[in-house]
Amino acid sequence: MKELVEFIARSIVDAPDDVKVEEEITEEGLTLKLQVADEDKGRVIGKQGRIAEAIRTLLRVKAAKAATKVRLEII
Amino acid sequence: MEISGNKKDTAETARDILEALLDLMGVSTVVTPVAEFTTDGDEGAEPTITLDVRGDDPGILIGRRGQTLSCLQYLVRIIVGHQTQEWPPIIIDVEGYKRRRFEALQALANRIAEQVKTRGVPFALEPMPAFDRRIIHLSLAGHPEVTTQSNGEGEMRKVVIQPRE
Repeated sequence: MKELVEFIARSIVDAPDDVKVEEEITEEGLTLKLQVADEDKGRVIGKQGRIAEAIRTLLRVKAAKAATKVRLEII
Repeated sequence: MEISGNKKDTAETARDILEALLDLMGVSTVVTPVAEFTTDGDEGAEPTITLDVRGDDPGILIGRRGQTLSCLQYLVRIIVGHQTQEWPPIIIDVEGYKRRRFEALQALANRIAEQVKTRGVPFALEPMPAFDRRIIHLSLAGHPEVTTQSNGEGEMRKVVIQPRE
C-alpha cells in the first residue's frame, strides 16, 4: 500500500525527496499518512481533491484484494 | 497515423507508468498499445495514446461505472504530464471495455437518430458521463437530419437528439 502512494506522490511533485508515507494499523484497518513539501500539497490533492480521490480509488483495489480497509490522509 | 519520435517516447513512458501502477496495485496484467478508436475520422486531431490492459481480474480494474478505470487513466495522464511536460490524450482500456462501449454508443446514436428522423420528435437518452456523451455528439456531428445537445446538470446530464430545423 505504502509503495503505491509513494510512487504516485513522487511522480507528481517537484520535491520527490520530501515525500514521506507513514503506516498506522488501527482496528478499522490501515491508515496511510502522506507528507509532502508544502509547495507540493496542491499537486497531491488536486483540484477539488480529484488527485487524492484517484489515489484512494486505486488503494481500494489493492485493499479489496487483501480483504482489508485503507484510509489515506494528507498531512 | 504518423507517430513522431517524441510521441513514441511519450507513449512508452505512459506504458511504463501504467505497468508500474498496476504492479504496485498487486494485479497481474499485460499492457499492450492498441490502435486508437476514439478519434476515428476526427481529422487533424492529436493522435491518442491508447493502452489496453489484460489481466486476471478485469472487473476490479474497471470498477463501478468504470470509475476505477477513469481514476487510473487520470493518474497516468497527470504523471506523464508532470514527467514529460507533454499532455497528449491518453486512453486506458481494460480488455476492450471502452472500445466496445464506444461501438455500442455509436450504434445507439445512429438507431435513435433514425427514429427521430422518422417520427420528427426529439428523444432524450439516459444520463451519461462526459466521455459517453461526447461519443454520441461526435457520432452524429455530421448527420444531415438531426442535431444533438446536452441538457441537465452533473450526474443527470443527458444528450437530447432532435430533428434539424
